[in-house]
Amino acid sequence: MKQLLVFILFAAMFCWLMFSPVYKHVLVIRQALLQQEVDYLLEVGASGRYGYIGEAMVAESRERLSGYGFQPGKLEYDISSTEGTGGTDASMPLPRGVGLKLTIRYPYEQLLNIDRLIGVEPPDAHSRMAASGMKMSEYVP
Amino acid sequence: MHKLVFGVLMIVIWWMLHAMQIDEEIAIGTLYEGKRAINRAAHAAAQQLDRNKLEQGIVSIDEAKASAAALSYLQANLRLQEDLAPQPGSLLRDPVEIRVFRIINEDVQFPYTYINTEYDFQVTLDRPGVVLIAHMAYPRLFRALPPIEWELKGAAELVF
Repeated sequence: MKQLLVFILFAAMFCWLMFSPVYKHVLVIRQALLQQEVDYLLEVGASGRYGYIGEAMVAESRERLSGYGFQPGKLEYDISSTEGTGGTDASMPLPRGVGLKLTIRYPYEQLLNIDRLIGVEPPDAHSRMAASGMKMSEYVP
Repeated sequence: MHKLVFGVLMIVIWWMLHAMQIDEEIAIGTLYEGKRAINRAAHAAAQQLDRNKLEQGIVSIDEAKASAAALSYLQANLRLQEDLAPQPGSLLRDPVEIRVFRIINEDVQFPYTYINTEYDFQVTLDRPGVVLIAHMAYPRLFRALPPIEWELKGAAELVF
């Protein structure tokens, strides 16, 4: 009886030890997906055809990311330019030479809560994972 | 007793494998981030038209403005300081070194094939452009393993 108990205890412990760090990969992949989305939006937005990242593009991007399991409402888009303002208005695209900046943020949610079991505190509810980039606009009026 | 020691050893080895795996995943992410930063810096540098020469009908890149643009885009995209050392709190530890920054202007015949045998890089440009090669080192977790570092290469040409 005692041996059985020890076996179950050890088996459970090993299972947990082996699989608990796998959740970290979700974090790495989410970060990579955010970065990929930033690159795509910058590539399109800074091209000679647009020169901005508009509301419609952001809405489409939310939809794309929700396909990967992100909650669209929690995604935060921060668009600016090297001149401080603009970058979102389709009627005032950024001319060539001005940089378009984009940051997408997303909360960690409950992803790292399992780390509490080994005494590592997860990031607090206000911190966000983020991906960002800056590309020069090619738009020529 | 020996079973307990074995157990502890297994835990340590298993978690080290996990740490190595995650470290390599992050390294690949960093490689892509660096490559994109190089591409954007080269792209920004290649957009710096020389206005004075354009008046004479010559399409050319302003060298001073181009190198300033490349530096500022590299700094913004990789979160570097003025001297290309990483900002405090960012992932990188060693400064990024620019190995080659070559502006190909109107003094050559287009299409022009740029060949750099030292870094094994070749690109054909149809217009004036910029070639940028930089060295970046990833702060790896395990010092016992060989260093993870890259020569990142990028080229861009003037868009109009």
